[in-house]
Amino acid sequence: MDQLGLLELIREALIAVVHEMRANVIHSSYSSVIYEGHDFSCALLTADGRHVAQSDGDTPIHIIAVPYSTRVVIETFEDDIHEGDVFLHNDPYTGGTHLNDILMLHPVFSGGKLVLFAAIRYHWADVGGMTAGSLSGQAREIYQEGMRITPTRICEKGEMNETFLRLLVENMRLPAERMGDFNAMHGTGRKAEEHVQRLLGRFGADNLLEAVEEILQRSEDVMRRRIRELEDGDYYAEGYIESDGVSSAPLVGRLKLTIEGEEMIADFSGTSAQAAGPTNVGPSMTLTSLGAITKAFLDPHTPINHGSFEPITIIAPEGTIVNARHPAPCGGMVEVKALMDTLVATVLGQAVPEMKVGDLKGGANHIYTTGRYPDRDGIFILYEWPSGGTGASDGVDGNNCVRQYNEGDFNSIHAIEVVESQYPLRVERSELRVGSCGDGKFRGGLGLRRDLRLLTPSGALSVLTDKCTIPPIGVHGAANGAANNFVVVRGDEIVQPSPIPGKVSGFPLREGDIVRYESAGGGGYGDPLERDPRQVARDVRLGYITAHIADIRYGVVLDGGGAVDDAATSRRRKELRDARLHLTLEAANEDHYAEDRRIFQMPSAIAKRAGAAEGDLVEIFAGTGPLVRGWVELDDSNGESAMRIGPDAFHLLAAVPGDSVEIRPVCREPLA
Amino acid sequence: MSRTVGLSVVGEEDRVTVQNYLVGIDVGGTFTDVLCYDLAEERFLSAKVPSLPGEQWRGVLDALEALGIKHGAIVAFVHGTTIATNALLERKGAKTGLVTTEGFRDVLEIGKCRRLIGGLFNIKFVRPAPLVSRDIRLEVPERITADGEILRPVAGIDFSEVVEKFNAEEVEAVAVCFLNSYVNEENERAAEAALSKLMNGTHICTSSGVVRERGEFERFSTAVLNAYLTPNFIDYLDTLANELEGRGVSAPVNIMGSNGGAMTLEKAREFVANTFLSGPVGGVSGAVRVSELADQHNVITFDMGGTSTDVALVSDLSPRISHANQIDAYPLQVPQLDMHSIGAGGGSIIWVRPDGTLEVGPQSAGAVPGPACYQRGGTDPTISDANLLMGRLPTERKLSGGLVLSYELAKKAFEDVAEKLGAADADPVRLADSVLRIAVAKMAGAVREVSVHRGYDPRDFTMVGFGGAGPMHVFLVAEELGITNVIVPRFPGHLSALGQLLADQRRDYADPFKGRLREIDPNELRDRFEALRKTGASELDGNGFGPDRQEFEYVCDIRYVGQSFTLRIPWRPDWTSNEPLRDAFNERHERTFGYADEENDAEITTIRLTATGVVDKTELSFEPESTGDPLLEKRRAWFNGEWIDCPIYDRACMRSGYEFAGPGIVEEAGGTSIVPPGWHVRLHDSGALVCEYRDEG
Repeated sequence: MDQLGLLELIREALIAVVHEMRANVIHSSYSSVIYEGHDFSCALLTADGRHVAQSDGDTPIHIIAVPYSTRVVIETFEDDIHEGDVFLHNDPYTGGTHLNDILMLHPVFSGGKLVLFAAIRYHWADVGGMTAGSLSGQAREIYQEGMRITPTRICEKGEMNETFLRLLVENMRLPAERMGDFNAMHGTGRKAEEHVQRLLGRFGADNLLEAVEEILQRSEDVMRRRIRELEDGDYYAEGYIESDGVSSAPLVGRLKLTIEGEEMIADFSGTSAQAAGPTNVGPSMTLTSLGAITKAFLDPHTPINHGSFEPITIIAPEGTIVNARHPAPCGGMVEVKALMDTLVATVLGQAVPEMKVGDLKGGANHIYTTGRYPDRDGIFILYEWPSGGTGASDGVDGNNCVRQYNEGDFNSIHAIEVVESQYPLRVERSELRVGSCGDGKFRGGLGLRRDLRLLTPSGALSVLTDKCTIPPIGVHGAANGAANNFVVVRGDEIVQPSPIPGKVSGFPLREGDIVRYESAGGGGYGDPLERDPRQVARDVRLGYITAHIADIRYGVVLDGGGAVDDAATSRRRKELRDARLHLTLEAANEDHYAEDRRIFQMPSAIAKRAGAAEGDLVEIFAGTGPLVRGWVELDDSNGESAMRIGPDAFHLLAAVPGDSVEIRPVCREPLA
Repeated sequence: MSRTVGLSVVGEEDRVTVQNYLVGIDVGGTFTDVLCYDLAEERFLSAKVPSLPGEQWRGVLDALEALGIKHGAIVAFVHGTTIATNALLERKGAKTGLVTTEGFRDVLEIGKCRRLIGGLFNIKFVRPAPLVSRDIRLEVPERITADGEILRPVAGIDFSEVVEKFNAEEVEAVAVCFLNSYVNEENERAAEAALSKLMNGTHICTSSGVVRERGEFERFSTAVLNAYLTPNFIDYLDTLANELEGRGVSAPVNIMGSNGGAMTLEKAREFVANTFLSGPVGGVSGAVRVSELADQHNVITFDMGGTSTDVALVSDLSPRISHANQIDAYPLQVPQLDMHSIGAGGGSIIWVRPDGTLEVGPQSAGAVPGPACYQRGGTDPTISDANLLMGRLPTERKLSGGLVLSYELAKKAFEDVAEKLGAADADPVRLADSVLRIAVAKMAGAVREVSVHRGYDPRDFTMVGFGGAGPMHVFLVAEELGITNVIVPRFPGHLSALGQLLADQRRDYADPFKGRLREIDPNELRDRFEALRKTGASELDGNGFGPDRQEFEYVCDIRYVGQSFTLRIPWRPDWTSNEPLRDAFNERHERTFGYADEENDAEITTIRLTATGVVDKTELSFEPESTGDPLLEKRRAWFNGEWIDCPIYDRACMRSGYEFAGPGIVEEAGGTSIVPPGWHVRLHDSGALVCEYRDEG
């Protein structure tokens, strides 16, 4: 590039194409998942499938995996790709996300040579399968989740394969709406092609492609520079998915991140074998988590493209939940991604402490409230995916009920007035979930509480999510956020709609039942006893937390007028600090597990004081280091104040034998 | 303080005693601009005075004073104000309380769980707080269903506790926002009445009184914005009205609304939420007027100032209106001119990103320290510095305002940037050229936003360049977009005030009428529109606009069954079937989104009426007053990668029909037009420079 500024011009021009694609999709789509939910993304890729341009409206969960799919399409068709071709793909095992996310690729040619692809990944509201919406916690193989499309040419040199298209949409619910989805994508791809052709004409193909390489290289250079600034070494994290929907045994995710010079190696070895239920992902999703979280931690400002991800190498053993093989169902993709996000944030939080951030709600919170209309034919489906509180970070509290930093900015609940005018439901409250924040020097955001009353004789509730029994973690000594909780209120009684919380399939609802959403709060940052007492008083005044929480979690005592009683507060804080429970770590030869769960063998007296019984979940941490969770097994063989842990646990805690750790129970629900 | 007539500064002795003046006043961040048309002498008077933060009305009075006209002779007075916008951006609105339906005090805080303002990959993102603090968002046990049935009436609710809390917190304004009030406003009205009795003098507004549309978050947000900003705004209006009256201005004062029409003072008092674009829409209205005079009916307005650029699309002399808007992070469900604004202006700073690429803006050097060439201590290069290096601004002569620009300082600023780029030996002029291209690409992006993204091809439009920096860049932006027609109006720096001076009155009405085109009885559709028209007509009558000065536009929001977003398709009262509407919709959809779904039925979701009270369109005369040769001198300027001996023209001396071919630089008070090679320019009878790109290979 010898012309100054040409690079910037071409970059802006390519991003403008993506902006235009987005506007086109939103305004022409037929499905509320798209026009309300914005559950789609657009991008431009190189002829060999590297991601060049996206907009800041696009969603990492769709986009970062697109190059994988694109490369599979290129490997499949090789030289047999022509002008006027259009390709479809959604197969999770070769780069897809879940089957609902359908990728359409329009190749763009210049002088007979393939130069770029315009890509749209778009959530189809239904792709067939065992239940309406295609995502079910009950799926046991991928065939139950809808139509799987391995790399397919749907349109050849401008000639649409109508037979295939008909077969495809006729095997999905609401085929007319599906054709609308297809048309919106196809129209958008054609417009993008036209636009790119104009750019090729204007800049010349050689200049444009040279600039593309340069743009990728620049992003890569910045990322390499940022990684080089980090301390070399190995960083460890461990986390859980609480259930695959089949068994109530948790699944574990493990990550070792090695930073070496200007490269990062992420190794997921030790992660659970692929699950019988839908909590699995294919091979492309590990990069989604690593890419998005790394970008946020290290280089949030450089325009987003594939170059940023070149310094990252990933090891994801086949046959695990993070690289599942056929025919594992993959509908719980978001739940697995949430686990991986937590793992990546945990390791990077050690390498880049100033960006350490409390954990997020975890999972998509897919909630389907369905039923028959009382006064006319047909069924209704209300689909919402409520956000929770976001995690706190040094200097900032989490935000209440809002999309988080690694998600595109789309709606996740409908307008109440839309719900009430379109469905036989009445929303009885929609408010902040008081006290659900993870307590900390900076506290997590609050989750949502929303009550919907059924106004028709019968209905059903399905839920697919996670973090209902294992809540989002706090960091730097802070407490966890409240767990997700989705229940039915029948009269005065609270009914758990499934034996495994968060994995509900078609629970029958009666007229007058209330479906209650309580979404998770964000994890906190730092010790709650260090929070500015005036901030705590303000939180009480605004009703974010109760005076009781201020007292027992923050040690802040308020007077009758709600002002801080400084003397009583410092006494109370000392009291709470003194009451904390500590154990001295000793080395065991190996880590102790029951199935995939980590077991802490601990003195019964300490467990009792922590309020934890055998089999309960607790967490331990050394100072402001990362916390590790495990399940209690009472064991007094090491005396009253010591606990033996294995080498992996030492890695996770970033601790050595002889260190002292704090132990505390995990609270799932907000305090009253 | 300077006072100019036409383009020349006039002295005391020129004061005239004519009886009829139209006055438009635009208050900007730095300057208050006034433009006055003298009906008897058929000429313009203009003045520019400093704006006084916190006391906008003083700037208005100073500006009037500077005109030196008899206040009693003013017949029309329209004012564009940024009072509401400033108060919001500085969070200096009234302490506002909310009264809402039990269970829903957090609607304002939760919204639909969107950030609404950036935040991707930003771990430290902080969501802007609602304008009403949670402890004064109070719930009452009322409820209306989606069908409008009252489940829990307001009668019987004791508001004394609510009022006690509000009084204790010294609440100055209250928004009453109930669920489903768009279907039935009875409960909101009753609560408003009850509160009014108990809270004497506190401003109270209801959500249904501001917006009659479904969607509680957007409606509540709009009502709260309105309540939050009203007390300040009323103070301002009262002060201004008193002061004007005290100085003998007897003409009614009108306030420019965001929809491009003027509002009476009474209307403005209750509808502050309609003034966020009060300033910038003046420019669009002004541009529409000069475009009409220059026989251009489809234009894109390009208003470039020191810190930002505003663009809008005008189709068949009608600016587009957008209904779902947002200001800061707050939804605003008020019809506004569909303008797009980006942070790139003459003062935008040029810097180097961490990846070693160039970036322009959005930070601006402002007036102080200003661009490096201003010699006021600024060291960062700006767009103005780039233009100076390229010989497009004078270095020897003083600018209006007495400023002399420093070539050396501009050059130094660019050399610093070149060093940061790792290209220390780069020619500063070439670097300036590159930077300008990047800025132009951004501005072209803003134009695409209002054209391509709305289904229009920008090449079908003429660009109108105005604002302090507009005429300098409009040609480059046009070239970038393939646009071949540009006009630069007379008084490009005063066009907003001109728009205000000529503004019609305008009100928008909506009816949430729904139905499928194959099922709707065309007569019923006509009846519904007729009902809206009657409402609009009676309001205009009340404001003194008789039937001969009333105009109505009818629009249907239409989508295919199953879609959510609608296209706005004009409707005509003489249509006897729905077919023309369907055809127009199919055609627009195909053009906009690449396909039409003709098999599918289409449905109307809302019908809308715009009622306009037409102000007399005086024949404006733009005749120049100076004589002499327009060609001032020749100066070296950089175009297309080389130095060219470029003619400099004085616009004040140009007469109708004067022609020249680019390159050329046209100077006048308040604006410099930079015409690159390839453009052909003619001074139109209306006073505008009408320019056409002629690709002569």
